[in-house]
Amino acid sequence: MNVEITGLTRRFGRTTAVAGVDLRAGPGVFGLLGPNGAGKTSLLRMMATAMPPTSGRLRLLGRDPGRYGQRRQIRRRLGYLPQNLGYYPGFTVAEFVEYFALLKEMPAARVQAAVRVAVERVELGGKAKARLRTLSGGMLRRVGIAQAIVNEPELLLLDEPTAGLDPEQRVAFRALLRDLGRRATVVVSTHLVEDVGAACAQVALMDRGKIVFHGTPADLAARGEGHGIGDAPLERGYSAVLTGVRS
Amino acid sequence: MNTTNAPAVSRQLPATRRPGRTAARLLRLELRHNAMLWMLPVAIALFWLTTYRKAMAMPPLWNLRATSMQSGTLLAFACPVAGAAAWTGSRETRRHTTEMVTVAARPRWARLLAAWAAATCWAMAGYLACLAVLYGVTAQQASWGGPLWWPAAVLAASLPAFSAAGFAAGTLLPSRFTAPLATVAAFFVVALSTQLIAGSQSYWQVSPLVTGPWDTGPDAGVATFYPYLPDLPIAQVMFLAGLTIALLAALALPRGSGGRGLRAAAAAVTTAGLLAAGTAVALAGTGKLDAHGMITIPALHDAASDRPVRFTPACSHTAIPVCLNPAYASYLPATVTAVAPALSEIAGLPGAPVRISQAAATYQQQAGNAVSVRLDGPPISGRPPVYHLLLPDQLLGPTMTTSELAAEVRSSAGPAIVASVIADRPGASQAQHAVTAGLIIAAGLPLQGLPPGTTPAADSRPGVRSQPPPEVAPGSPAYAAARRFAALAAPARHAWLMRHLTALRAGRITLRQLP
Amino acid sequence: MTADRVREVTAAQHRKTRPARPPRAGVRLARLYAASRRIPAAVAAIAACAIGLRIALAGHWDSYGALQLPLVFEAGAAAAITVTTASPHGDPERVAGRWLPFLRLAAALALTAAAASALAAAGTGAHLAGGTLDALRNVAGMTGIGLLCAAALGGGLAWAGPTGYLVLGAYGLYTQWHGPALTTPWIWPARPPHDLGAAICAGLVFTLGIAAITVRGARDPAGE
Repeated sequence: MNVEITGLTRRFGRTTAVAGVDLRAGPGVFGLLGPNGAGKTSLLRMMATAMPPTSGRLRLLGRDPGRYGQRRQIRRRLGYLPQNLGYYPGFTVAEFVEYFALLKEMPAARVQAAVRVAVERVELGGKAKARLRTLSGGMLRRVGIAQAIVNEPELLLLDEPTAGLDPEQRVAFRALLRDLGRRATVVVSTHLVEDVGAACAQVALMDRGKIVFHGTPADLAARGEGHGIGDAPLERGYSAVLTGVRS
Repeated sequence: MNTTNAPAVSRQLPATRRPGRTAARLLRLELRHNAMLWMLPVAIALFWLTTYRKAMAMPPLWNLRATSMQSGTLLAFACPVAGAAAWTGSRETRRHTTEMVTVAARPRWARLLAAWAAATCWAMAGYLACLAVLYGVTAQQASWGGPLWWPAAVLAASLPAFSAAGFAAGTLLPSRFTAPLATVAAFFVVALSTQLIAGSQSYWQVSPLVTGPWDTGPDAGVATFYPYLPDLPIAQVMFLAGLTIALLAALALPRGSGGRGLRAAAAAVTTAGLLAAGTAVALAGTGKLDAHGMITIPALHDAASDRPVRFTPACSHTAIPVCLNPAYASYLPATVTAVAPALSEIAGLPGAPVRISQAAATYQQQAGNAVSVRLDGPPISGRPPVYHLLLPDQLLGPTMTTSELAAEVRSSAGPAIVASVIADRPGASQAQHAVTAGLIIAAGLPLQGLPPGTTPAADSRPGVRSQPPPEVAPGSPAYAAARRFAALAAPARHAWLMRHLTALRAGRITLRQLP
Repeated sequence: MTADRVREVTAAQHRKTRPARPPRAGVRLARLYAASRRIPAAVAAIAACAIGLRIALAGHWDSYGALQLPLVFEAGAAAAITVTTASPHGDPERVAGRWLPFLRLAAALALTAAAASALAAAGTGAHLAGGTLDALRNVAGMTGIGLLCAAALGGGLAWAGPTGYLVLGAYGLYTQWHGPALTTPWIWPARPPHDLGAAICAGLVFTLGIAAITVRGARDPAGE
């Protein structure tokens, strides 16, 4: 298992963002669904080693992120796209991705090729020398994805990766996710249930800091049969689960 | 998004095999985008305005150019680099990339060090270019000597220190106000804290702005007859290096900056850096002004540095040769012309100097920051007698143009040479005063130049008086006798002096006995 | 209910729902604008400069140090003013109505006046070299340089102008003792407080800076 989470809790003052989450995930694409404020981003940040948990046990790629040496080993094998992408406007696309490849301690000899591949995979090869300040929001999102995958991560954490992508790009992105999921554990936090349906083998639904559903997209769709609101089966399943939990 | 067209990258190695190469690539990337690159034109413009112009207005003496460069260039570069480094240090917070870079494997400290190094490299590149231009031009103009490298070394140690201070401020207090306040603080620390210096035993002499006794400014009198003493520069470099190391190592102290081992090492290095800086401050406090105008620090002093520099003087081909240190060779024609009227009056007289030779000045610390500069020993000595001359530029005060220097030599050294031959010193007879004054009047020199001597305070110069001394003030008997003596034909004056100079010098001639 | 009556009632309701005191919206806008530009922090920085100057004036300074001292704090205050020009909002703010230029103008003028007043007040009862006129001229001139830099380089880097000028101004003062003297009125800190040419130069730069920042605003961040 690449992700083993037991009783993971994170509090911010009196607010409990993540409340005793248990989760295990192996290679494949894992969808994390939930309404705003459900705790998805907090859970993802803990998995990204950006924030320590208040309590609970977290093991990533068979290592303990609480220990510096092991955390560093995890980080070498980690890709992370945060919800709000920060960037340096003066950097070119290639430089920005190269910067993160170097920070991820990739061997110098392989950086150039890895950057080229990552930029190609998000279809920004023609814009490799464009400065980030000249790019559209969707392109910037793709740059963020490129920096996350440049080191061929074994654990890839993506927070709202398709925000700002056009429909064509979203379809292509889902294919990329499936491809990445063959070798790595990819955790995608999103509001868009159609992304989950198209790319994820497993899905978890969070509400108020807890995982209230864990199964396949088909299981989630099945929960919505005859219940829930929404145009698509997954949307109905999503709303049915939340309604059930809250009632 | 492409899943098939791009070649797949093989699995990466667990860690960088050649960390040096990766660090070099990271530095290259940082160099391309560092704010100091944008600040370089400002720094270079300030260098040109405040340092280069000033240095070029000075005589082409290595000591003057090097010490004025140290002070001027420090302000021109330290402020911009402190601001640019603070700006760079606050970048991750400003651009909201903190989380993304935090989850990358490279330790925070290593990442920050690359950004700091980029700001520092650009500042150093700009500084070295300015140094090359200034020293290159000076090398073409100077008649003797070579570049002084210690002032350059102090500056080279200063820029990383100011960069580290600014960077630490930007990292620890990231805000839009950090960079400007770091810049202003850098200026304040450099320019105004020197007010704390009082005398040569001040701890704050460790400030890289200080090149010698404070308040004297660039001094043409040092490092020509004796070597440039490295004592204070060594303490300054030690202080700056210690500070730089402590500040940079302190960046690795916060949690998450690195492993336990790295943080423990950082704590040790920070302590070592602070100790080095503190030791340097303490050493600077033990400094004292030596006789050659430089600060000696006993614990760092090498006695070999007290040996005079060997040189072949530049001499004129006149009846009484005028010999200057070769560093001042450009002044020789003006000096010869300036002393010629006085020399023509005394040439051939018994006891007249056979040579006018430039001497080293002797420095002495006075109360506060005041320094006295004088000739050590009598102006005329030896057998055959040699007159020892201090050029006005060896004395303290603003540097002079060649014509200003010539006028100063004419009005002060000319009368002094005459007075030394007549033995006209305090306590001399009225006749001696009158003869000296007569010869000075005959030579067309100002009486105000009497008597020659020393500088009692930092900013005063010898012989610059508006009135002649009271012994030969107009209306006095001595003055009348002097006018009479001056009115004689030159051969008559010379013949009288040949007969009576010994008695006159012994005080056995009265005013009435003068022709 | 007749149509006229309906109209009357609607008008009355409008009157009731309209803000009781319309100017409060303007005050609220100004407050929000100030918060977005970190103007309270700039005011704190200006106050810190004034307090620092007051404390420094209590010390003993030689004649050169006494002349340099106010200039350092004036530059600090000017730099603090100029970095408030950076906008965190970009285009959405730029296209949101006609008030933005007036807010920029008012903020720059108010902060400059506050800085000059605070520094002059800090020098009251102490020996402030150059006096109030000098402080006003120097703060205005250096703020003008900073505002021009903000228009050209962006608000974040606008501090480069006033701080660079600080070094130049301090050197100008130094050349009064050690030549070659810089006597151009463009280096106004080196000129006496009543020097008309220096005042005109500082005023011109301030006017240009204010005009640039009012009309154009700070340039969007150019990046690292």
